[in-house]
Amino acid sequence: MRNVLALSMLLAVASVQAAPHLDPGAPPVSAQQAAQAENRVRPASVGAVLDADAERHLRDSFDAADTAHRGTLSRAEAQAGGFGWIANHFDAIDTQHAGRVSFDDVKRYLKSRGTSGTATQ
Amino acid sequence: MRTIQSVLWSARLGVALATLVVAACGGGSDSGGASTSQYLDPNQYSAAAGASLSSPNEKTAVTHGSLTLAGAAIAYTATAGHLSALDSSASPEASIFYVAYTADGAAAATRPVTFFFNGGPGSASAWLHLGSFAPKRLVTGEPATTLTVPFAYVDNTESLIDTTDLVFVDAVGTGLSEAISPHTNQTYWGVDVDAAVLRDFIQRWLTVNGRTASPLFLYGESYGTTRVPVLTRLLETAGQPVNGVVEQSTIVDYNSNCSVEGGKPTINCAGFLPTYAAVGDYWHVATGGTSDLDADIATVRAYADSTYEPDAATWLANGTLPPANHIAALVAFTGLPTATWDTQFDMDYDTFRHNLIADTTLGVYDGRMSALVGSALDAQDDPSDTFLEPGFQAGMNAVLPALGFTNPSTYVMTSDAIDTWNFSHGGRSLPDVVPDLSAAISLDPSLKILFLGGEHDLITPFHQTELDVARLGSGAPLALQFYPGGHMTYLDDGTRPLMKARLAAFYASATGAQ
Repeated sequence: MRNVLALSMLLAVASVQAAPHLDPGAPPVSAQQAAQAENRVRPASVGAVLDADAERHLRDSFDAADTAHRGTLSRAEAQAGGFGWIANHFDAIDTQHAGRVSFDDVKRYLKSRGTSGTATQ
Repeated sequence: MRTIQSVLWSARLGVALATLVVAACGGGSDSGGASTSQYLDPNQYSAAAGASLSSPNEKTAVTHGSLTLAGAAIAYTATAGHLSALDSSASPEASIFYVAYTADGAAAATRPVTFFFNGGPGSASAWLHLGSFAPKRLVTGEPATTLTVPFAYVDNTESLIDTTDLVFVDAVGTGLSEAISPHTNQTYWGVDVDAAVLRDFIQRWLTVNGRTASPLFLYGESYGTTRVPVLTRLLETAGQPVNGVVEQSTIVDYNSNCSVEGGKPTINCAGFLPTYAAVGDYWHVATGGTSDLDADIATVRAYADSTYEPDAATWLANGTLPPANHIAALVAFTGLPTATWDTQFDMDYDTFRHNLIADTTLGVYDGRMSALVGSALDAQDDPSDTFLEPGFQAGMNAVLPALGFTNPSTYVMTSDAIDTWNFSHGGRSLPDVVPDLSAAISLDPSLKILFLGGEHDLITPFHQTELDVARLGSGAPLALQFYPGGHMTYLDDGTRPLMKARLAAFYASATGAQ
């Protein structure tokens, strides 16, 4: 009896395979379930919606650099705040020569180059 | 002088080399140069979530080699060691392990430099480092599973060292990379924090090595193709232009790839159907297949979009199977039996690879690899990983000492990072990085992106990549190219030369050389 039990335990162990290393691996189930609910109301973005998703990333970076919450950045503030791209393009963005640029100024500059909204080109 | 020519596979010789290092080495060198230096790094590195390094160092081992490509000898320097990523206040974040192969005597302003990242999350860069385009590579024989560990380590006639310098980088909590106190590895285990710390590493590496003006390329594989678009946006935002991005075996949207859900997907698997057909062709079970793989793929791609996608959507919504002739078409395209489609019509890769051939498990990373159920190769339910990973682990264990770098820690091929990874990004619980690519293109209209992959890769199927990146629109600066092969597409000896040629053309295009 004990031998049978030992044998069945051995078989149980042998039949459990180690899970393969997956890359990309499966995210935690909680994240998968949350994503399923989100995706029903927010499908994969294209066109203007994708442009808005892309713009949100840039706005988040702008807001992170705008530590004084003034809504505008100087060249130095942009550089110090991690948005070196604005500092590098500052004169072209600051068409009013105000010494400070808003996120709308950034959007206007991107649009003038014809590179904002890649999805809708 | 050819320090890395003679790789020391035997443990006995490895001990002898370590002894030599202790005897000969008073410390490392801070950067490259003409001299050779070995380095015995005394730090103990850990890939545990709570691990935190208290005494980082930036000493490196430097060795020299030469590789002859197309009749021309290219002298190069290999540098192995750690460099700290620093935050905006110059405070240390993480001690990042890297191995850099740099051609000697190249002009920094025009010589490209490429940073390579594997995925996971939690995978070290060993796959790209030892398998793809470095001056030396492991011989795997994939898709055959006949070679044994250790795999031979040979001069790589498909190396990209004639095109670009190559830096293989381990993300935090993989390989020998670790967060610096008071941070822990967990601090950098998330989509956004991972990309940010790797941005800081790249900027520091470029600065320390005088390479801020060099054409910059990023090469990601698997989860690395999720990581690299975020990283590209962050570098462009920071004012560091990126010339080119290579996405190898792509997953840019976790919300569209049904493999991330495991066995019973809620996501439509239509993007997988052409891959199933290619694998069915390979095993000669797809009766609808011809000898022309490209033509078969074109046929099945069109069918997936026009018919299978809506059929799968209906089945997911209410369990209704399509008419019998639709199932018959799928059976002919793939060779997968009718009963399997009837049971799991939205066909996930796990069901596919266990049911295509009786008593046989096909490889996750290469559907051309197989194992009999119950055989040693099937022990981890994936002959591709079971066959390859021990060879790459052994490879790293031997190559690092051969590059003059010795350390008491285990080089961690795969950590537990995925278990506690923060996947949220851009307001979603699972990452969609297509908007990151769009933002990066907006900031830098000269950025170019190349998507590469294998037609027999069952986990990041090529047609899903096509569907995902089509969202960027027909005007986007991207190209796609897929080859016979698996997830580590470059391991296929017939495909690797084709990839090298395609990459050389891509680099020329992205640096304005053509």
